[in-house]
Amino acid sequence: MNYMVRAIVPAYNESERITGVVRSLRGVVDEVVVIDDGSTDDTAIRARAAGAIVLVHSVNMGQGAALETGHEYVRRTGGGIVVHFDGDGQFQVEDITRALNVLGDSGSDIVLGSRFLGPSAHIPLIKRRVIHPLARWVNYIFTRVVLTDAHNGFRVLGPRALAEIRFTQNGMAHATEIIEHIREKGLRYVEIPVVVRYHEYGQKFRGGLTVIKDLIVGKFMK
Amino acid sequence: MRIIFQLVIAFLAFSALVSVARKKRENLLGPLGAFFWVVFWLALVSIVSAPMIAQWFADMIGIGRGVDLVMYVSIAVLFFVVFKLHIKIEGLKRDVTVVVRNQALQSEEKGRTSS
Repeated sequence: MNYMVRAIVPAYNESERITGVVRSLRGVVDEVVVIDDGSTDDTAIRARAAGAIVLVHSVNMGQGAALETGHEYVRRTGGGIVVHFDGDGQFQVEDITRALNVLGDSGSDIVLGSRFLGPSAHIPLIKRRVIHPLARWVNYIFTRVVLTDAHNGFRVLGPRALAEIRFTQNGMAHATEIIEHIREKGLRYVEIPVVVRYHEYGQKFRGGLTVIKDLIVGKFMK
Repeated sequence: MRIIFQLVIAFLAFSALVSVARKKRENLLGPLGAFFWVVFWLALVSIVSAPMIAQWFADMIGIGRGVDLVMYVSIAVLFFVVFKLHIKIEGLKRDVTVVVRNQALQSEEKGRTSS
C-alpha cells in the first residue's frame, strides 16, 4: 500500500494533552490533522506548534462534525488512509501500526477498534456491565450489525471507506452512523483489540440517550 | 362569564388567522402549514362557541367527555409540534455545520497557499 496515512484528531479544550498526542502520532503516520472543535483554550496553538495541520471550527459542533471536517480535508488533499484518534490521549499509537497491517493484509475497507477483544480492558464496571451491553443492543436495532464494541472511536478507514462514508451526525451518534454506512455500502470491516486508557469517564448514560434521540431525528432527515 | 371567554377566544383566533394570512403572503409559511393553522383556529373557535361539537365527536369515537377529546387532541398536536421543531433545529444545525466546516477548510487552505 502506498497511500498516505493521516490521523484525524478531533479536540475540544485539550490543550494539556494535545502536544503529547500529536508528537506521538507524528512518528507513526504521515500527517496529523487536528480539528479544534471550538476550543476556548489554546488547543489549536499547541497542536500547530507540535507539528499538526490544524483546522479550526469557530463554534463547538461535536465529534462527528469534527471528524467529517477532517475527512473532507483529506479528500480535498489527495485522499489516502485515515486514522480516527481521540485528542485526549486515551488511545495508544502502537495500535495504529497493527491496524494498518490488518487493513492491508485482510483487504478490508475499515478496521474498527474493540475494547473487548483483548485481555487488557481498563473499562469502568458500570460501563462494561450496563452501558456497553445497552449500547450494543441499540446499535444492533439501528444498524443490524453485531459488533463487540459499539462505540469505539479508534478506526482506520481505507480509501474506499473514506470515499463512501459521510457523517451527517454531529455528535456521538456518528459512531452508530458509521456502522450503518458499512452495512449500506457493503464495506468490508475487521475488528481488532485496542487498549483504551480513560482519563475521564467518557460518555455517560445521558449521553447515550442523546445518541438515541439524534439517531431517531436523523431518520427523518434523510 | 362564558360569553366573555368565547369573545376572548374569538378575538385571539381572529388575530391568529390574520397573522397566518400575513405570514403566508410573505412566504414565511407553506401551504400545508397555513392550512393546518387555519383549521386549528377555526376548530378552536367552533368548539368554544358550541361545546356540543366536541361532545358529538367524542361520542362518535367512544371517548366519554368532549373535554377529554380536546385534551387528547391537544397533547397529540403538542407532541407533533415539538417533533417538527426538533427536525427543524436539526436541519439548522446541519446548515451551520456546513458553514463552519467550509470556513475551517478555507482558512486552512488560505494559510497553506500563503505560506
